[in-house]
Parts: sequence; structure tokens; C-alpha cells
Amino acid sequence: MKLCVLVSDFRNMDDTLSRLKADKLGVFLVSNGVYHAALKEGGKKSSILEKSPHLYVLSEDLESRGFSESEIDTRVRSITYSGLVDLLFNEYEKIIWI
Amino acid sequence: MATKKLSFIVKSLPYKTEASRLALTHAIASQTVEIYLEDGDMVEPVLAFMGDGVLNCLKDQTAMNLYGVTSLEQHIKNSLLLDLKVIICKEDVEKFGLSEDALIMDAEDIGGETKASIAPFSEIMKEMDSSDHLLFF
Amino acid sequence: MAKLTIGIFSSLVGSLSLDFAVKLSQAAIKKGHSVDFWLSGNATMLSKKGQRSFKDYSALQKPVQELLATGKFQITACEACAEARGFHKEDTMEGCKRHSMDWYLASCFSADRVLHIGGD
Repeated sequence: MKLCVLVSDFRNMDDTLSRLKADKLGVFLVSNGVYHAALKEGGKKSSILEKSPHLYVLSEDLESRGFSESEIDTRVRSITYSGLVDLLFNEYEKIIWI
Repeated sequence: MATKKLSFIVKSLPYKTEASRLALTHAIASQTVEIYLEDGDMVEPVLAFMGDGVLNCLKDQTAMNLYGVTSLEQHIKNSLLLDLKVIICKEDVEKFGLSEDALIMDAEDIGGETKASIAPFSEIMKEMDSSDHLLFF
Repeated sequence: MAKLTIGIFSSLVGSLSLDFAVKLSQAAIKKGHSVDFWLSGNATMLSKKGQRSFKDYSALQKPVQELLATGKFQITACEACAEARGFHKEDTMEGCKRHSMDWYLASCFSADRVLHIGGD
């Protein structure tokens, strides 16, 4: 299946995400999940960024929290709500929010 | 005639929030969904408990006596009474050091015949894979 | 085009998850899709009329009314969840329906995509 996971929190996301298996797994960082794209803790980047090659961050949530696109990990692609809609309908079959 | 399968995946702990209760009541609502559908169309729900969510399945909950709310235990038994498929993640049960004896596995005391199953997460993943839509709680 | 069903339990104002869902609905409708929006649990607060808009608080009544005006958006509140919170039929925002939980499952049946936001 092509599964889109909307990661909405900064803590306690790793366990669930690690267990999910899909033919294509898209990780979309939204709400407080955007911190995974922008922050290091103890000098280390978030392990969420290792979960999939398909990584996205919602620009509206990123910028509302004081980050710019230039500050996010280079593996993560910034998208708008419009881009999110296109990806949900064109590239993924199922969606979950964690 | 079509059947759409919905997986209700419960990760939340009970009581502090209503998320897991609403998962159960929504899944049980599959019993009356046909009033909105064409003849022969159906919704097939699967309920799975994973992570902290397996703790919804502990026996001997006394929420009704203490808080005046129907316990998750009763909701799970109602689900089994209505023959919903209920799966409890084996790895998470073991992680918490629980045995089958501590969990709600059937609804025999209220006349239910369907039993819950404790199964590896890979089985839950299979249910998710074969579902049309996924609802995480 | 396609249908997106969104089911949400998050609190009005107390969480921006409802705002996310409304903004996603706006984006989907702009692309020509239709949206069914199901409110359950604390999200039933959004079904209540008479919400006041203040600068420091998210205000969703007007965006929801605008979405309704497109004709491609349906918003339905869980009747039991609303009543338990003291929101009665006469308190409901114009255009917002009320049904039991099976309505949501029926919406999922005919949806092309389902996004369920099951908590704050």
C-alpha cells in the first residue's frame, strides 16, 4: 500500500512509525511534527528523518513556528496545503495521523 | 454490492481522553451504517489495539462504579458480542508483561461467541494493508 | 474529482488541529474535490453557532460558512457527542448537520481518501 503518515507531534512518534510497513511510505511533518525537520537535540537530528526517503514538511506550520525553509534538513521537501492535497490524492492511497 | 473495510487502530490509553472510547463506539456503529448505503453495501470494521492501546483491554475495569462511565472493557465486550474482529498486539502485550488471563478475550458472560485474538503486529499490518481506509485513535 | 472525508475529535480553539483540517478542506475544494467533515468528541464545539472572533483565538465559524457556500463541503456533528456537551439542535450553526456515528462510516464508504484525526 502507499501510506501517508501525517506526523503531528515532536515526541513519541518513533515507535509507531518504525513499525509501519508500506510499499511507499510518505512522512509528512505537520503541526508540532515540523520540529523534526528543523531541530537537532544533543547535536543529533531526529530519527524520524531516517524512516523514509519521502519526507515532507508543511510550510505553513514550519513558518508559524518561526522556521524558514532554509533551516530544514535537506532531505525534507517543503510543501503547502495545496501540495499536500495533490500528494494525498495522486501519490498515496491511505492516510493516518499520529 | 460492495464492502469497504475500515481498520480502527487504537494506540491511546483509556479514560484520560475519550479517543479509545470513540474508536469503539464508531466501530460498533458499523452495525447501523446500512441505513445510509445502497442495498448490499457494507462496512467491515476491524479493531486493533497496539502500543499503549493494549491497556484498554485489561479486565476488571471499574469505571462505571467510580466515574459513572461505561468502561472500555464493556465497550470491547459489546464489540465482540456484535462479532467485530478484535486483535490485540502480541509484542505490546508482552512488553507490558501481561498474560492472556489479564485481558478481555471474550464476551461469553453477555452471550457473545466471537473471541479477541492476540496476534503479532505483522497481522495487524496485514489488516491495515487489506483495508480501504485507516483510522488511528 | 474526488472526495476527502475528514473525521476529527480535536477541541475548537484549544488545539490548532481543527484549523489544520479546515485549511486542508479549503485546499482540497480549491482543487475541485469535495469534502465531508465529521465532528466528534470535543470537535463538536465547532458545530455551535455564535462563536466570537478574537484576534488571539482561532476563529473557524466564518471559514466553515464560506466552505459551505461552495456547495462542495458537508459538515456533520455527532449528535450524541454534542448533546453530552450541552449543544442542542437549536444551538447548531446553520448548514451543519447532526447525525449518529454511522454517518461517518457511510461517508468513509464513499470517500476516495479518509483522514481521521482522533484526538487533540
